[in-house]
Amino acid sequence: MISRRSILMAAAAIIGFPARRVGAMEVFRLGLTPVFLDNDARVVDQLREAFADTLGIPVELEQRRTYEEVTGLLLEGSVDAAWLCGYPYLQHRKSLELMAVPVWNGRPLYQSYLITGPDNTATTLADLRGSTHAFSDPDSNSGYLVTASDLARMRERPDSFFKRTIFTFGHRNVVRAVGDGLVQSGSVDGYVWEALTRTEPDLTKRTKVISKSEWLGFPPFCTRADRAGEPAIRAMRLALLDMGKTAQGKAALDLLQLDRMAAAQPSLYDGIAKRMRELENVF
Amino acid sequence: MRGGRPLPLSLRVPLLTVALMVLVGIIASQQVLTTLRNVQNERIRELAQLQIEALSVALGPLVLRKNVWEVYDTLDRATGETHVQRLVFTAVADENGNILAATDPRRAPLDSPIRALARDAQNLETLSIPDQGTDIRLLSDLVYQERKVGQILIEMDVSDLLAARGKAARLLLIGNAVATGFLALLGYFGMRRMLRPITLLVRHMRNSGERPEPIPQTDMPRGDTEMTRLFRSYNSMVSSIEAKAEADKRLANRERFVSLGRLSASLAHEINNPLGGLLNAADTIKTYADRPEVVRESAELLTRGLGHMRDVARATLDQNRLDRSGAVLVVEDFDDLHLLIRPEVSRRSQDLDWRINADQKALSHLAAAPVRQIVLNLLLNATEASGQGGKVGLRVSVLGGSLHIEVSDSGPGLSKVAAARLLGNGPASSEGGVGLRVVHDTTCELQGVIRLNRTDGMTVVTIELPLKPGQRGDKC
Repeated sequence: MISRRSILMAAAAIIGFPARRVGAMEVFRLGLTPVFLDNDARVVDQLREAFADTLGIPVELEQRRTYEEVTGLLLEGSVDAAWLCGYPYLQHRKSLELMAVPVWNGRPLYQSYLITGPDNTATTLADLRGSTHAFSDPDSNSGYLVTASDLARMRERPDSFFKRTIFTFGHRNVVRAVGDGLVQSGSVDGYVWEALTRTEPDLTKRTKVISKSEWLGFPPFCTRADRAGEPAIRAMRLALLDMGKTAQGKAALDLLQLDRMAAAQPSLYDGIAKRMRELENVF
Repeated sequence: MRGGRPLPLSLRVPLLTVALMVLVGIIASQQVLTTLRNVQNERIRELAQLQIEALSVALGPLVLRKNVWEVYDTLDRATGETHVQRLVFTAVADENGNILAATDPRRAPLDSPIRALARDAQNLETLSIPDQGTDIRLLSDLVYQERKVGQILIEMDVSDLLAARGKAARLLLIGNAVATGFLALLGYFGMRRMLRPITLLVRHMRNSGERPEPIPQTDMPRGDTEMTRLFRSYNSMVSSIEAKAEADKRLANRERFVSLGRLSASLAHEINNPLGGLLNAADTIKTYADRPEVVRESAELLTRGLGHMRDVARATLDQNRLDRSGAVLVVEDFDDLHLLIRPEVSRRSQDLDWRINADQKALSHLAAAPVRQIVLNLLLNATEASGQGGKVGLRVSVLGGSLHIEVSDSGPGLSKVAAARLLGNGPASSEGGVGLRVVHDTTCELQGVIRLNRTDGMTVVTIELPLKPGQRGDKC
């Protein structure tokens, strides 16, 4: 059975797979957020050890509660790379550069799901007017931007359309909030919901998907643009792109239910950029 | 009058002991259960206070910021990490009383008023476990940095405490029932053993009928205990009663002789009266021996006088002889009694009303001697009581299978002492009417009934003597 710990270990394997020495760098710092991967102190310790073993230098995993915090760490240079969402990447597109993007079900794409409780009679976003709603993170594409931009198309704002909105700062938490009945609906990463369906079916069973967004660019690994040429950053990019070629890396990808890592072009996130513009233009 | 026969002391005291033990058992059980209830209440208050304080520390800043998810996540994690599911439900509201989060969000929806869930909720100071139900509900302020930032409603499962209380009650009930039953049995038999001398005493008193019998030395309790002293006192009392009974018997016999003495005096008077006439007749015969008509007349006078004296002598002899002969009662016995009492009546110039209405067949069921003794004694007392020129009466009749003997007199009536001697079973006083105790004892021996009435200035003593043995009972 695939557990969250396994997924985290797999993520660690992905990041730490290339057993390359990274020159003069004494420690490699990678930013993570529990928005995408749930937090687990023991798994973080194992990740840290795995990265240190594969990169040949100590690895520090800097975890912050929100995308905003992790993005801030990346931009100020407190971390060397970070697994971000497409939305914050586009928000800081000029300062950031794509390192790699996970490939899921053959494509580097995913969807945003609008979920409700199994007994909820709503079938569209419009039916959820006046209800309570859970977002994952204000800087999450699937966990906020998609629903907010859909409402913008309806000339609505989340605060006025819903009776109350909450942020759970975690896609899994959105599923918990909806499944436990804390809120009536939620916006969640489709990849996370599908992964949870396999690892925690009892959790997703208490929710149902009432609508899915168009396919959008998968959350990428990013680094700061001005540091993209550093050996350690290049080593990490190569390690990410090649991780599917070794048994250890493949096992990690399997645990994450990902196919491989691929090079990404900024145009992959045009769909998200379009939604950002729609949201900005309306309000 | 209370129905049923009262329980004997040998049962009442052990049963009272059992009842007291049961009462003590019930009170002790109640005390234990009350203590248990208080201990449980104190424990649940401590537990609730700890929960409230812990939740206040953990949730205070989150509630202050109204961070719904963090409040819920904290509650959810706290619930999941609790091994003992004492806390079954928690709801947290903001300072306005609107729900921020609850462990069961469907039961406490976001932004719904917490007061809807707080019905029957207790406060921390008076929190207690009710006798029924499985949960208790507590509503408390959520204080953070000495400021009320919200409210907390918690529900605690107390079914295990109630089950423990019930189990304790059952164990107490069973334990006390067994212990009380055992102790009650011990108490019962112990009391029976302790009261055995009393039972023995009562048995000796009952076995004897009217006369208590002494307790043999072999049945005396050992040592110089209260019971030993009681038994000795009892034996002394029995001896005294026997002595008294003997004295009564002697007194009765003396009364008999007194009656005979008085009768003899009357007889002497009866004989003395005609004796003067007879001597005169004898002198007349001697003086006028040559006058046949005078001699003949005097001889007839002598004959009548001597005949009367013969009848009196015969009646007196009969009175004494009949005591030993066992002859049945005949009508002539009343003629004899009339003959015997007449001198006394005449001497006092009394009016004698003499009515005998009984046939011989009926009278023959009774012995002559005791009836004659009864009637003679009553008549002698009646003449004594009536005084000079009074009225004395005897009426004998057969009514309803009994011989009714009514002796009446115009005297002032029997004194209390005399009435007690005639009617009572108690010790006889030496004072009072002559032979009344003889009348009482003799009537009792014949299983008869004595009645004493006072009507129209006449004192009437009625003796009813059953004629047939089957009708006789213990009337005295």
